[in-house]
Amino acid sequence: MSLSLRGLLRFQESGLLVVILVLGAFLTAFSGTVRAPLFQQGPDGTRERVFITDANGERTPAFVERNKFLNAQNLAQLAKDTSFIAIMAVGMAFVIIAGGIDLSVGSIYALASVAGALVLNHFGPGGPAGDIGLAGSLAGAAVCLGTALVCGLTNGGLIVALRVHPFIVTLGTMAVFRGVAFVATQGQSVGGFPQSFRDLIRIEVGQGLSVMPLLVMIAVTVVGWVVLSRLAAGRRVYAIGGNELASRFSGIRIERVKLGVYLMSALAAGIAALLSLGYYGGATSGDGQGYELSVIAAAVVGGASLSGGRGSALGVVLGALIIQMINSGIVILGIDQNYSQIIIGSVVIAAVVLDNVNSWLARRRLQKASEG
Amino acid sequence: MSPPPQIEFRGIAKRFPGVQALDGVSFSVAPGSCHALIGENGAGKSTLGKILAGILSADAGTLLLEGRPITPATPLEARALGIAMVHQELAFCPNLSVAENLCLGDLPTRRGGWVDRAALHRRARALLAEIGADLDPARLIGSLSTAQEQLVQIAAAIGTGARVIVMDEPSSSLSAGETRELFRLVRSLTARGITLVYVSHRLEELFALCDTLTVLRDGRHVWTGPIRQTTPGEVVTRMIGRELRVETPTHLTQTLGAEVLRVEDLSSPGRFSGVELSLRAGEVVGLAGLVGAGRSETLQAIFGLDPRAEGRVFVRGQPLRLGSVDAALAAGLGLLPEDRKRQGLVLGLTCRENVSLAALPALSRFGWVRRAAERTQARHFSERLRVKAPNIESLVAGLSGGNQQKIALAKWLARSCDILLIDEPTRGVDVGAKAEIYPLLDELAREGKAILVVSSELPELLGLCRRILVMRAGRLVGDVPRADATEASLMRLMAGVAADCAA
Repeated sequence: MSLSLRGLLRFQESGLLVVILVLGAFLTAFSGTVRAPLFQQGPDGTRERVFITDANGERTPAFVERNKFLNAQNLAQLAKDTSFIAIMAVGMAFVIIAGGIDLSVGSIYALASVAGALVLNHFGPGGPAGDIGLAGSLAGAAVCLGTALVCGLTNGGLIVALRVHPFIVTLGTMAVFRGVAFVATQGQSVGGFPQSFRDLIRIEVGQGLSVMPLLVMIAVTVVGWVVLSRLAAGRRVYAIGGNELASRFSGIRIERVKLGVYLMSALAAGIAALLSLGYYGGATSGDGQGYELSVIAAAVVGGASLSGGRGSALGVVLGALIIQMINSGIVILGIDQNYSQIIIGSVVIAAVVLDNVNSWLARRRLQKASEG
Repeated sequence: MSPPPQIEFRGIAKRFPGVQALDGVSFSVAPGSCHALIGENGAGKSTLGKILAGILSADAGTLLLEGRPITPATPLEARALGIAMVHQELAFCPNLSVAENLCLGDLPTRRGGWVDRAALHRRARALLAEIGADLDPARLIGSLSTAQEQLVQIAAAIGTGARVIVMDEPSSSLSAGETRELFRLVRSLTARGITLVYVSHRLEELFALCDTLTVLRDGRHVWTGPIRQTTPGEVVTRMIGRELRVETPTHLTQTLGAEVLRVEDLSSPGRFSGVELSLRAGEVVGLAGLVGAGRSETLQAIFGLDPRAEGRVFVRGQPLRLGSVDAALAAGLGLLPEDRKRQGLVLGLTCRENVSLAALPALSRFGWVRRAAERTQARHFSERLRVKAPNIESLVAGLSGGNQQKIALAKWLARSCDILLIDEPTRGVDVGAKAEIYPLLDELAREGKAILVVSSELPELLGLCRRILVMRAGRLVGDVPRADATEASLMRLMAGVAADCAA
């Protein structure tokens, strides 16, 4: 009993869960309600409106008061929005834990989307090759993910070979990748994908819950968690982020690990791009603008330390959820959309300040312990 | 009644974690003298200089300036009292010019905050001319040589009205010509009545320059007197004579195995040159030398960390590719670096994760870390090395210096390295942990590991090693068997004092 309790307390992400619960409770309490028409399952299995017949025999449609935040539709929307950011944030966690930064994820997302879209359009119903079924969809997916990996290889390669700070390299490629996407599409939106591809990703259950992004997010999180915490490769990521020099002195191939983390970040952006293709059915070079900020914010709020060496896959996913809950809360509470940037920015800074206070306290505890 | 001394130390004590750096040091410095402060590495001479200059503050004792007690808490306060320090660490902003650095605290400005460049350069030129330095004030500090930067430091000190200047190893990175220039400047400063506290361990230099000398040993004051009344040999005798804390190791009696490491003509430009050494299985060889002699650099070059290293290194007869840590690791070498917090350990990871850091390939199957094996290994080595930590999941950052060192050593044992290059095994380690580390190294040697150990503590080398190599100014100058090695003989080799001086 005491063992499981200790296990739970040591669970680093428990603080984030508390924040999420408090935020959820707050939004539920203050969001107010909305009148929604009531449906029921008809005898033939279809959804039909419920009517109330009053004493005078008049039939009036029935409504229910539903909480604006705590309702199935809103939560399904929140889950979908979180998925895209969370997937990319898991990739970003690798980079940040290794002590780097990747500003180009939004542009990789756009370029991978556009590249995949051009292929899917080629094999789409109106495309030159016509719909050839599964093969066309697979080709589109392969090109989408492959493009992302090439972007990651470019980032990692430049950082390792030129020994330039990752901030500079990815700031440059952020513009380059988006520029390539723009040139490739001439700024036009690309759509007209095979229907089977779209149907696969738009599978819904219950009241409009798209499960595909959610399932992919869970899969990416599990893979990220396993790699970071169970594989030797992940241990090396923590080691070089914690102390690059000592890692080099221990025979870790720094260059290889760095290349790997930028590939992971790009691959995650590619996966998110692939989902968006199916979900939205189109892509433009302007997609994913500003995603890098949301993704980095999610990682930082989720406990990844920008000085490297600390963070977890689960933490950044919870961080992404917090960021999206705040975004959604701004809409629900009827706050002017223009405030959302201010609020998100402040939350990120507050998270970093809290993290600093926390590590300062930890240092002091350690100092006391070593003196005692 | 004679005038009060310029500086008087009364019972100065300073403790760093795990080591008593200064222990009740008392002596005085006469006005206008050039006072030498000498002692072995770690004797406390730099610490004393830093306390005087306000960089460190003493735990106990009194500091008197012209008879009045002072407590400079910052370098700025010491400056205001007329005490300045010239040291090796970066004292200036390398990205700014000489003139800007000289006037940084009080930039001449015109109305509206514009820097008055003409006045700036005029003032800087005057300050430099004061000490006879011929330097362009517009040059960036970063582009100057060490000697030139020292000149600027001295000019800055004089410019702020310093009457006492502490010089910490001022000649350690100067060429012969630059050193002559420095001597000329030192003499001209004392001629102007400025008091100099000159920290060095180069005996010949002190005898050429200084008039009074103070010897420190293990943080204690040993002797102060006029330099004319002593000889370099006497000074060496006073510097050494620390207590021998190492029990005679048992590995000395075993027969040595085959040669496992041979280094031929190993050089690295500007660091060391022509190093030759050989190491056999079960042998513990020491590498002695003063700070800057190239000992750590030699170890790092053997371990593949110096891309500019040239020469030949053979491990068990096989040539080792230089400049590659991978090759060194594959050949079974392990380096326990001098600065374990920066180079040896990942402080934010646990004991377990640090122990397995270099052994991950052996511990993982298809890329998965076998956690049970990893835990078993970490437990095994922390028990064997008697690491005192709450458990193997404790963060290394929270351990004491001695226990951190054991974890750093365990990292190489976990990789089963059989040639260990150990740089300062007991730096920043308390006495208790030292007494545990020595038998441990002895035990490793008995198991047939070959150990090359660099240390600034001569008693440590004398106690541990079968043979002691001595380096001076980047060259190997001696190979002393245990039977012939004494602190005095090693110290003479390290400092380059001829044997007849010690008579």
